[in-house]
Amino acid sequence: MEKKVMVVDDDPAVLRTVKRILESAGFNVMPVDTGTACLESLKQGFHGLILMDVIMPEMDGWDTIQSIVDQGFAKGNIICMLTAKEIPDKRMDQLKEYILDYITKPFAAQQLIDIVTEYIDYLPSIKKDD
Amino acid sequence: MNNRIIVVIGASAGGPRILKSIFTDLPVLNCSIVIVQHMPMFINDSIAHSLDSCTPMDVHLANDNEPLKPGSVYLIPSGFHAKITRNRLLRLVQGNRVNYVCPAVDVTMMSLVRESGYQHIGIVLTGMGRDGADGIRHIKSIGGNTIAQDEKSSIIFGMPKEAIITGSVDWVLSPNQIHQKLIEMVKVITLVQNESLEKNE
Repeated sequence: MEKKVMVVDDDPAVLRTVKRILESAGFNVMPVDTGTACLESLKQGFHGLILMDVIMPEMDGWDTIQSIVDQGFAKGNIICMLTAKEIPDKRMDQLKEYILDYITKPFAAQQLIDIVTEYIDYLPSIKKDD
Repeated sequence: MNNRIIVVIGASAGGPRILKSIFTDLPVLNCSIVIVQHMPMFINDSIAHSLDSCTPMDVHLANDNEPLKPGSVYLIPSGFHAKITRNRLLRLVQGNRVNYVCPAVDVTMMSLVRESGYQHIGIVLTGMGRDGADGIRHIKSIGGNTIAQDEKSSIIFGMPKEAIITGSVDWVLSPNQIHQKLIEMVKVITLVQNESLEKNE
């Protein structure tokens, strides 16, 4: 099964930019604009790399990650923060075993591609019937 | 080679790519290296394989009761704290989270003991929180050497900063500098240890 990238961000410009950059490098990208939509995609079977914004209305990045963990979706998905917040929230301290990296906006296109390339290779191959 | 030099490295967010920088083309060193990387369990193998592919040192997931051997790198699996018994044996123990994580590098570093003929090196890399700060202080107190990653190259300057605040960090370095410093330190320590052994014969 193909390894995918989900981008979770309430800013449509960020979603478009990240999608464009990563698709140009050959990745299959799923943009979603809320934490709720992220969870819904996971319920529908998404497995892959999740790039998560922090500041989002209703459910921020930390709450979304906590829900991912609580609902059993942490296994099989790599989470990296993608955020303009330079100083991470203390809540990250409690979730750090689930967050592999932290990418600060603005980022260089090649930096994003390099990081995604590195981490997507860490994902175990998921069989179609898993 | 002997196993009298023990290196313990702690890393969190951003750690895998920083570790890759340090370990790429790292030659086989006369030391044992224990890595505590905060990470999800399902990628333990992937990270071990990734690091193993970039250095001739033997990088693998640690097993319980494994003796420390020079030239080997032990990645601690998620869900276990690692303790080093009498500077010789790696034990994986289950326990409560320390600094919100299991494994915690503080647990590993603080299990090291002062022993004639043994030298310890503690390294704290990028990450949130303060795991490694107490461990670095402990390693310094038993005569070891300590390194923290610098702010410029840290993905998150949390753990290194907390280590530096203890006043127990010898060097604040970039990943490339850590790579070089490791090679230099192990070479020098080995020379000193060999001279000491010859004198005692």
